[in-house]
Amino acid sequence: MSTKSDYRRMEGSITLAPLSEQIGSQRLSSELLTLNFGPHHPATHGVLRLLVTLDGEIVQDVKPIIGYVHTGIEKTAEDKAYWKVIPVVERMDYLAYYFNALAFCGAVETLLECEVPKRAQYLRVIHLELNRIMSHLVWLGTSALDLGAMSMFWYCFREREQILDLFEMSSGQRMHTRYFQVGGVIEDIPIGFAEKVREFTRIMPGRVDQYNDLLRRNEILLQRLRGTCPLDERTLLELGVTGPLLRAAGNPWDLRKAAPYSSYEDFDFKIPVGTVGDNYDRFAVRIAEMKESVKIIDQALDGLPEGPYITEDRKIALPPRHELATSMEALIHHFKLVTEGFRVPPGEVYYAIESPRGELGCFVRSDGSAKPARVHMRDPSFVNLQATAPMTRGAYIADLIATLAMLDPILGGVDR
Amino acid sequence: MRLAVERWDPGEDQIEVQRAPEPGVAGGAYRAFGETLRGLKTTFARVIEGVHTIQYPEQKVAVYPRFRGRHKLHRFEDSDLEKCVGCSLCAAACPADCIRVVAAENTPELRISAGERYAAVYEINMSRCIFCGYCEVACPFDAITMGHDYELSDYNRGDLIFTKEMLLAEPLDQTPLRAQGE
Ligand code: SF4
Ligand code: SF4
Repeated sequence: MSTKSDYRRMEGSITLAPLSEQIGSQRLSSELLTLNFGPHHPATHGVLRLLVTLDGEIVQDVKPIIGYVHTGIEKTAEDKAYWKVIPVVERMDYLAYYFNALAFCGAVETLLECEVPKRAQYLRVIHLELNRIMSHLVWLGTSALDLGAMSMFWYCFREREQILDLFEMSSGQRMHTRYFQVGGVIEDIPIGFAEKVREFTRIMPGRVDQYNDLLRRNEILLQRLRGTCPLDERTLLELGVTGPLLRAAGNPWDLRKAAPYSSYEDFDFKIPVGTVGDNYDRFAVRIAEMKESVKIIDQALDGLPEGPYITEDRKIALPPRHELATSMEALIHHFKLVTEGFRVPPGEVYYAIESPRGELGCFVRSDGSAKPARVHMRDPSFVNLQATAPMTRGAYIADLIATLAMLDPILGGVDR
Repeated sequence: MRLAVERWDPGEDQIEVQRAPEPGVAGGAYRAFGETLRGLKTTFARVIEGVHTIQYPEQKVAVYPRFRGRHKLHRFEDSDLEKCVGCSLCAAACPADCIRVVAAENTPELRISAGERYAAVYEINMSRCIFCGYCEVACPFDAITMGHDYELSDYNRGDLIFTKEMLLAEPLDQTPLRAQGE
């Protein structure tokens, strides 16, 4: 073992030998430049470090170096009872907290063979799709900022604020809401929530049109995005890339339709796909997804069934609060669930959902105790990040910035 | 050898997004003006929508009733006894392990809570707390609830360990609450 750290060795693995090439009768020599890009750089959307090898302005190679926000969440989860893992895993991909929670809850529900009431499934869908729009808004705002469109950022954050207000109203917190619980959701939506969501879905399509007016055919944006850094479908599949990036290349893979969960089969919506798979398609697919999400939310509100919002299995879900004062049995269940938590039958499960960035899967292994033996997340940002180098090789460094913006990696999810 | 890509086909349920025109060339010259004007029209039309920002420290953001802010410990209104009986359920439920409860027995001379025991020490480390509200869910006696205050910064970490007295006291200024339907 050398005394060098892994990073140092990785840096050393890049050849800096001068390149000599013959151009006409002149002999020009150029040298490769290694540029350290990040970890603290506004265009890396988090603490991502890119080791870029440049030949003039042309990117020869990119090595993403990750691990700056490693939080050890997967390990922490092994030490907590199942219901206490939920607020912890929510903090991985910090723009898709409802998705993280659902991936974990869904996995545990599968192990428990627990039926989730229809109302809870619909409430989950409403929050998931609001969350998807919110995540895409942050992506659009920050990406547009990278491309020089300042006011987009304010517009996106204005709508995001509205969604966060909705989350605060129903779940008590604007981020990391722990609203989803194993077996359902922790409380029913408050009075007036549905109307406020409707108000939002009424104005949101118009807002998306405004974003389109500003950006879709803007010459600067076209120059930056159209035809830059395309990657074909096969390479993307080989790298395991999913989500809007894969759909931009024309493959309509969307788990909401391909393997429906949480009643997604009840809703009528379309999967936007691109044709070429360049940065413009990535941009257009996400914008179109926002409108589809609005449709899903409307349908879920229309069809919101009555009934319980969490499973009535007292071995899993906490008893309703009013029973605590009257029923001894409820108190015993409450005590047991809070101190020890529920036990989950031994087994392994992988539960995958479609997060704003692609396939978010949660692997849970149970040894029969009240704490998971292993929790692992397949985070789409982590897998998608691998596509950086194949996408940007041979492109200009300015296109690298645009590609990274369209890649939309969330470093909290990458490092976990 | 690379295998051919096998695509899953959702049939009717996919739509192709619109391609953009080729940048540059003749259209580019038009767009540099036309589309920029359309963009400006969109931006200027927003002026009539009014201001969306608020002047934060002077003007506080009103929160919804469910908002989870700084915790509160409660007393019974009639007898002034503390509701907390030191059962440590909240500490057991806390995912961040930031609650410390040390219970002691009530005596006839010194009666602090309504139950047999009371919390002699009750501390919440606010710098660890993730405001998940599990303590509120766990407490069977409604002794601890999540309040609405969100201004919690301080100069020393030590000051962020809230003691029982601090949690029982009313906060200095009240956070405005949103009225129903707002
Ligand atoms: S809100 Fe959550 S983290 Fe904070 S003290 Fe209560 S249980 Fe612990
Ligand atoms: S606050 Fe509630 S749960 Fe915590 S020790 Fe007191 S009575 Fe028990």
